[in-house]
Amino acid sequence: MAPSPVRRLDPVLVDRIAAGEVIERPAAAVKELVENAIDAGAGAIEVVIEAGGRRLIRVTDDGRGMTPQDLELAVERHATSKLPDGDLFAIGTLGFRGEALPSIGAVARLSIVTRTADAAQAAAILVDGGAKGPVRPAAGARGTRVEIADLFGATPARLKFLKSDRAEALAVADIVRRLALAHPAIRFTLAGDTISTIDLPAEGSDEAAALRRAARIVGADFVDDALPIDVMREGVRVHGFAGLPTAHRGSASHVHWMVNGRPVRDKLLSGAVRGAYADVLPADRHPILVMSVDCDPREVDVNVHPAKSEVRFRDPGLVRGLVVSALRAAIAAAGHRATAQGGRDALQTLAGRQPQSFVQRTFVGWQAPVDTGGTAASGDAHGSPLPGFAEAQTPFRSQDEQISSAFLPAADARAHADDAPALDAPLGAARAQIHANYIVAQTRDGLVIVDQHAAHERIVYERLKAERAARGIARQILLIPEVVDLDPADADRLLAAAGLLEAAGLVVEGFGPGAVAVREVPAALAGGDIKGLLRDALDALLDERDAPVEARLDRVLSSIACHGSIRSGRRLKPEEMNALLRQMEITPSAGQCNHGRPTYVELKLSDIEKLFGRR
Amino acid sequence: MAVSASPDQSNVGRSMKVTVERAALLKSLGHVHRVVERRNTIPILSNVLLRAEAGELRLKATDLDLEVTETQAADVERTGATTVPAHVLYDIVRKLADGAQVSLETIGETGQMQIRSGRSRFNLQTLPQEDFPDIAAGELPHSFSLPAQDLKKLIDKTQFAISTEETRYYLNGIYFHTIDSDGRQVLRAVATDGHRLARVETAAPQGAGGMPGVIVPRKAVAEIQKLLDGADADVTVELSPAKIRLTVGSVVLTSKLIDGTFPDYQRVIPAGNDKTLVVERDMFAQAVDRVSTISSERGRAVKLALADGKLTLSVTNPDSGSATEEIEVDYEASPLDVGFNARYLLDITGQLDGDTALFKLADPGSPTLIQDREGAPALYVLMPMRV
Repeated sequence: MAPSPVRRLDPVLVDRIAAGEVIERPAAAVKELVENAIDAGAGAIEVVIEAGGRRLIRVTDDGRGMTPQDLELAVERHATSKLPDGDLFAIGTLGFRGEALPSIGAVARLSIVTRTADAAQAAAILVDGGAKGPVRPAAGARGTRVEIADLFGATPARLKFLKSDRAEALAVADIVRRLALAHPAIRFTLAGDTISTIDLPAEGSDEAAALRRAARIVGADFVDDALPIDVMREGVRVHGFAGLPTAHRGSASHVHWMVNGRPVRDKLLSGAVRGAYADVLPADRHPILVMSVDCDPREVDVNVHPAKSEVRFRDPGLVRGLVVSALRAAIAAAGHRATAQGGRDALQTLAGRQPQSFVQRTFVGWQAPVDTGGTAASGDAHGSPLPGFAEAQTPFRSQDEQISSAFLPAADARAHADDAPALDAPLGAARAQIHANYIVAQTRDGLVIVDQHAAHERIVYERLKAERAARGIARQILLIPEVVDLDPADADRLLAAAGLLEAAGLVVEGFGPGAVAVREVPAALAGGDIKGLLRDALDALLDERDAPVEARLDRVLSSIACHGSIRSGRRLKPEEMNALLRQMEITPSAGQCNHGRPTYVELKLSDIEKLFGRR
Repeated sequence: MAVSASPDQSNVGRSMKVTVERAALLKSLGHVHRVVERRNTIPILSNVLLRAEAGELRLKATDLDLEVTETQAADVERTGATTVPAHVLYDIVRKLADGAQVSLETIGETGQMQIRSGRSRFNLQTLPQEDFPDIAAGELPHSFSLPAQDLKKLIDKTQFAISTEETRYYLNGIYFHTIDSDGRQVLRAVATDGHRLARVETAAPQGAGGMPGVIVPRKAVAEIQKLLDGADADVTVELSPAKIRLTVGSVVLTSKLIDGTFPDYQRVIPAGNDKTLVVERDMFAQAVDRVSTISSERGRAVKLALADGKLTLSVTNPDSGSATEEIEVDYEASPLDVGFNARYLLDITGQLDGDTALFKLADPGSPTLIQDREGAPALYVLMPMRV
């Protein structure tokens, strides 16, 4: 067979190939269109989808609109209004490639109706499977309405790779939410046949507005749990809201980053978040976070990824350092603050039980309301319709007996006249210890319940860490250096970081290509798995996480702290309880133990009053 | 169902009846049952093999890496073999009356073994003896024998330095080999965990020359140590590059060897350390122990400050305070400050025999030699800590 001659590809085919890169699923098309709307200065953006975007995507905005001449050009490849100076290094808009509309036009039926503020009438154009129609006059309001019908109708292969309508619709919703987070001043609505409608009113453009918008998207609790952050260094501003470490989630889907108004999922930034929260979150848990990085467009390259979800900073070290230090400072300043969630949970549980308690009181006397011992577990049982009297009485009778022993305070520190200063402290004055593990303290405006083991564990851990920082790390020199074989690139990376590792007690040197000889290890880790330590260090370096060796040392300290702290079951004297509360107030991150569990919950007096219907 | 063979014939090789003295059986079981792991995924590894033949009862247990066989005199009524759970059998025999006779008999039709002693009677489930693994097979070309206590000394003095870290598996045992040292053949045992090294030697026994260097795994080392406890006869050692077999009296222990290359330990033994320190061993060990009380954490460091005729030991722990102790020593070189892990120092001084200990140092970052005296058979190398 003769070789086929080389020929130039048909332009429509070229567009379809390119479309595969830019428009991989309906959500990507929505992203492009909404970004265009934002770039057009819209104040309200409405998105409607049908069949997960497969049948119809309609994005309507009230932005600047286009003239008929612009409209004709807009659907051509590499035509855009967005790089006026032709400077790819100073991109101030979300889009710039000029690829979105022609790509969509190549794989769907695209129709655009647009009108500028001073035009007498709107202009419309239709592109069907890459074939461009003429610009026609049409009726339309100011702004632009883009409709995409039969997405991927021209590329059936792509259709097969789409997920269910519902899954695609959720992906669209996710994109809209993320863009909405970045632009609180714009009103966003999303409606579709398989998802519930999202309607986010315009909030304004200050930080309070950003927090309101964030709360609508990541959950109303975020308002209480958010730590405001706003720092600036060398022209880079990092601002937004970081969640308290105790309000953690199972996935990183609530970590939202915006770079110059563009939602991104960036490794550098997520690595920095992991590093900053490493010490205060349980393993595999993620914080809730809505933060932005604003800087001169010249300092960041957004032209890295076709979907622009990754960015490259000119000075990654600066950004990373700024993020980590700002987050750490905010977490440290929050100090012993635990999430309000604990208090809320407690309140809900108590409040939910109230009606049943009332009914029970009619025949079991005063004990029922005190039945907090098994609140969560026994809640359902109480919620069931009342059984006969005899049946109902038995369980409570036995509980009655337990009460006499279990509910007797282990220590009693009833109010004294002289504890006024303690009452003013954030965690208040200790009143009693119950179940030999929980300290009940009274503050000026509420009640605090402290888990003594968790609290003390954190205190011991922080002290050990401070000690290590003060003393430096003792190193055991190896008699027989351990040679670890690595990928040559990895070995070079480790050796480049040798100074950093040495400060942490790990001394490595090159041992031919692709091998590293470990000469000294931190004494506390001696006898352990050196290769594993090195690999951990390498992973941490790759992720740009801080202090890989310290992380292992921290783990050792953490287990020492766990064994070295007071156990639950130990009865504390009033003085000991108060001392623990005072230590918690001055210990960083005392709001959660080393495993990320909260160390205390607080009930405000107003909450308690609510429980009793006084408010 | 028709019975086609006579009872005698059908029981050949399976029916066993043997009577033994309880104390002798307990001693044998004591040797073999330790090899058996408490939890096994292969059921037969929980069992001990009992084989009665020609006036002897042979017991055998294995974990597939290590096998121990012990033979004892017995009154064999019917020859045969079976396997029963090792720990259960050991516990039963342990609880039987002292001085009792124990009869072991397999019951052909139920597949059980009956143990009778006095008025006690136990029936144990058995597993077929044909399934019992045999790791001892194979040629062991090298053979020599040496006094039990010589071998015990080699093991006792090096065992503490065996590494417990699994990734460097070739350090998880004692390296035995012969070498020419100052014109005479010696048998050497070497162990190291990468921080310290122990090297002990004894004159090479007849026939040991030319043996391959072998690494005996930790579990086998511990078992050999127990077997040698109190033994005074000679021990026969047989070797191949993959296996070692020791015969101590009536006990035969066979172990697989660690398949790896022991590092070239000679390179880490310093030759040029010129600063010599001689201390009274007990006084030194007690002083190290005392000052290290103050440090609480793992990898605790003790600092040795050496100046003319004087050694100052000190430990500082910002959390609890500090400790110093000064002892008179024999030291004439230039002053030197060096840090060591206190536990390592105590481990090593605990192995020394003499009244004094000889340290040879170079600088705070180089290996230090520790011995009883110049030319002693045991030599220790310890790496300092940086504090």
